Parts: sequence; structure tokens; C-alpha cells
Amino acid sequence: MSDPVLVVKGLTVYRETHAAVQNVSFTVPAGMDTAIVGPNGAGKSTLIQTILGILPRRSGEVFVLGQPLSPKGKLPAAVRQQIAYLPQNFLFDRRIPITVSEFVGLGWDRLGLQLPWTGGRTRRHAVQQALTQVDAWHLSHKLVSALSGGELKRVLLAYCLVRPRRLLILDEAPAGLDVRNESEFYRLLHQLKKDQDWAILQVSHDLDMVRRSCDRVLCINRTLLCQGTPDHSLTPENLSLAYGPEFVRYRHSC
Amino acid sequence: MALNLFAIAILASLANFSTMTIQSEFVRVIELFQLPFMHRALMGSVLTGFMGGLMGSFTILRQLSFFSDTLGHSALLGISIGFLLGLDPGLVLLPFAVLFALGVTYFLERTRLWTDALLNIVYSSSLAIGIILLSFRDDYKGGITHLLFGDILAMQTTDLIFSGVLLVVCAIFIGLTLRSQILLTLHEPMAIARGVSVSAQRTAFIVLLSLVVGISIKAIGVLLISAFVVIPACAARLLSNTFVQYILISAGLGALGAAIGMMVSAFFDLPSGPSIVTVQLVIFLLAMLAPNTRKLAL
Repeated sequence: MSDPVLVVKGLTVYRETHAAVQNVSFTVPAGMDTAIVGPNGAGKSTLIQTILGILPRRSGEVFVLGQPLSPKGKLPAAVRQQIAYLPQNFLFDRRIPITVSEFVGLGWDRLGLQLPWTGGRTRRHAVQQALTQVDAWHLSHKLVSALSGGELKRVLLAYCLVRPRRLLILDEAPAGLDVRNESEFYRLLHQLKKDQDWAILQVSHDLDMVRRSCDRVLCINRTLLCQGTPDHSLTPENLSLAYGPEFVRYRHSC
Repeated sequence: MALNLFAIAILASLANFSTMTIQSEFVRVIELFQLPFMHRALMGSVLTGFMGGLMGSFTILRQLSFFSDTLGHSALLGISIGFLLGLDPGLVLLPFAVLFALGVTYFLERTRLWTDALLNIVYSSSLAIGIILLSFRDDYKGGITHLLFGDILAMQTTDLIFSGVLLVVCAIFIGLTLRSQILLTLHEPMAIARGVSVSAQRTAFIVLLSLVVGISIKAIGVLLISAFVVIPACAARLLSNTFVQYILISAGLGALGAAIGMMVSAFFDLPSGPSIVTVQLVIFLLAMLAPNTRKLAL
């Protein structure tokens, strides 16, 4: 088996004065779909934002594709190219005039110093292919602000897809979609994961989806409560540890 | 009958008079264009207008309009400090603008109050202190209007050279970091996740913006400088369908508005800052009338 794409060792993150994530260690193997579950305020988003260098950490180590994340949250550019991150609710100022193909093109760019016309035809071609794969090529000239919820999620997937990646980090990616669009989103995500051999680390509230389609699961409530395959980890005892006993009684009565 | 003839005579003389005025006005305009100060003013306005529009496009999207207003007002403080120290205000202004901008940014990041309220404190107090300091200098009281509203004669050759250099620097900076700037403006965490150094990009942008404000302030004036940066970008937003188009239109409209405004100022002997901003306003109103912009404008 190849090296894990992500290794987290003893990670502790403080928000204000309290520990939001405490001494969490886990690995994400290549090509596997790992879910992070836990109640609201358990530190799931904090955890993945720290892994990406968006939030500072108090202690612990993070290795992405074998490279250490510096204390200031820096990673080599070549590693950055191979990870993509989709935030919880892609909220942006809808008055910003950016078209779908301009946005997906940003996923292709290296984002260092580069001439504005860098890439040219290669870039355009990659954008076209990515948009075609998520069935959104017809939207390419639309403004991102004019997209429906489902269209926007497909375009975000194209942003991840436009360049080969090894690791996708999703924070409740389908949030805001209705049931039909959500299952469509997961169908597409899992299809692409198979084609692209992505490793996925995703925060999720949908325990049924996690049971159905994730390879591994991490239960988190500030500390790591359990990890393993969904069948092994999502037991009533572990869920009661993570979400509290009320939740488990509720789910069993449904 | 006699009355009719009298009326015709009056009309004829009126017509004659107005032809004469148009002719003499025309001559005056031609003469005006041959004056070196007018060349400098026009060139300077095109350069600063282009820069203002270019930087303005990102300024409004990052909601820094009020920040640029604060920089403008603080320039008066910089000028008055220059006077008190007996230095050339033009020399003091640019370093002061950069230091002030960085100081205010640091202050905003460290304080947890509302940004617009804090900026209000900063800009009103720097204006107040600047005016008080200037009042110690009796010989400068008459010049305050020029500082507040701009002076067409103030554009010197050194300013032109500096504007030219600064425009090149701004264009190179925006050009080379364009993709990072766009992603950063759109979604900061996603930009960080891709390795964009937010603090470095932000600091560089703010330094350049403060230099643009500092160099444009002679022609536009302390009070109107932010409009000079903001209006072309807003008009461009109404007229554009892609991000790249938006930046280019904003820079173009900035230069166009500044050039026309400077001519208006020269022909009608009006203060240059208000003339330029009024022309920019007309451009903005025309943009609002453009057929495909109604959804955004209304």
C-alpha cells in the first residue's frame, strides 16, 4: 500500500481560550474516503481548517503527502497543487463578477507569481474537460452568482477536478442542497473519486451516507473518540459517546 | 413693423455676438492646450485615473472603499506635519501615507470593534488634527481649498514621473498576482488552502493603494479622493460580464473620467477634483442606463 496522503499526530488547536481540538491523531490512506462525524461544536471544521493551515495550531504535527505543515501553516507549492478544499457553504459576495470558467480556471492555476495569460490553451482545455465531466460546460459563460445551488456544487467539483489531485478536503460539501440534489452530488463525487483516485476527507452530518459509502470514519468531540470502518465505529456506544445518549435513543426509535 | 425690424436687429446682433464668443472660446481652448501645465495636468490625470481605476476594482470588492477614504483624509495630516517640520509636503506625503495605511491595518486587525466605526474615528480625527496644525501656519490658510479639492496646477514633472513608475508597478503587481488576487477576493479560506499568502498579498495591495491615493491627492483633493477610486470601479461592475473585463473597464473608465474632468476643470476654471468626480458620476449614471445592467443597478 502506498504512503498515507495525510498524517495527523497529537494535534491540539485552541480557539480563544479553550481547546477546540485536543490531541487528535489519525491517518488518511491514499484513495480512501474518510468521514469525520461528531456533534455541532465538536471541532470538525476547526480540525480540517488547521490541517489546511487556515487556522494556527497549538501543538502537534501534520504531514500532507509526506511534507510537514510548517507552524505558520505553509506547505510546498507542489503539495498545495494536489489538494483541494471545499468549504462549508461556499459563501461569497454575489456582486463579484466572475464567470464559471474563470472560477474553474483558478483551480488550475499555481497561484504563485505568473503572467496573467499563463496556461493559455492548456488551461482552457482543462477547464472545458472538467466542466464537461460534471455536466456543466453549458454554464461556462454564466456568472457564478447566477447559479442554482445544485449547479454551484457541480462547478465546485469541477474546480477540484480541473487538475489531478490526491486529496480532497470537504466540509459538509452538500450543505444547502435538497434530498435529490444531495444524492446526485454524492453520486458524482463517488464516481469522480473512483476515476481520479482521490483520497477524500470529509466532514459529514449524514450518518447513513457515511455508513453506505465511506471507507473509514473518525468520531470526534474535541478529542478523537473512535476510528475505523463505519460498521465497526458507528456503534450505538460510540455514537452515544460522541453525540450523547439522547441522540442514540432518538435514532433507534426512528 | 418698426417693432419687427427692431426685434430682427436685436436677434442679429445677438447671433453675431454668440459667434464671436464661440470663436474666442475656441481660440482660448486651443491656447489652453498649448500650455505646459495643461499637458502635465492631462497626462497626470490619465496616469492617476488609470491607476485609480485599476486598484479601485479590487478596493470595492474587498470592501476597502471606506479605507481609501480614510487614507485620503489622513493625507491632510501628513501634509500639515510636513509643513510644521519645514519639509516639502510632497516629500512627506507618500511615506506618511504608506506608514499610516499599515498602522491603520494593524489597528483594525487588533481591535474587535466595527471596521467602519473605527475608520470613522481615524479619518475624522486625522482631518481635525490636520486642520488644526495647518491653522498654525498663517500663510497656508488660503491654500486649504486646494488641498481639500485639488489643484490643476499642482501636477509637476516629478509627479508625472512618479505616477508613471507607480502605474507600471501597479500593473505588474496586479498582472502577476491576478489569479491569487481573484481567489483571495472571492473566498479567503479557499485561497489559503491553495497556498496564497494572505497577509503578504494584503500588505502589498494596501501599500500600493496608499501610494496611489497619495500621488493622486494633489489633483483630486483630500475630500474626494475615495470617490476617484470607487466610482469607475462601480461603473465598470455595471458594464462587465467577466472579472478580467471588469478590471480593464474600471482602469479605462478611471483614465477617461480623469482626462475629461481635467479638461472641464481647465475650460470652465473649476477646481479639478470636483470636476473629475462629477464627470465620473456622469459616466456611472450612463452605465446604470446601459441595457443589461438593470438587474444590478436597481
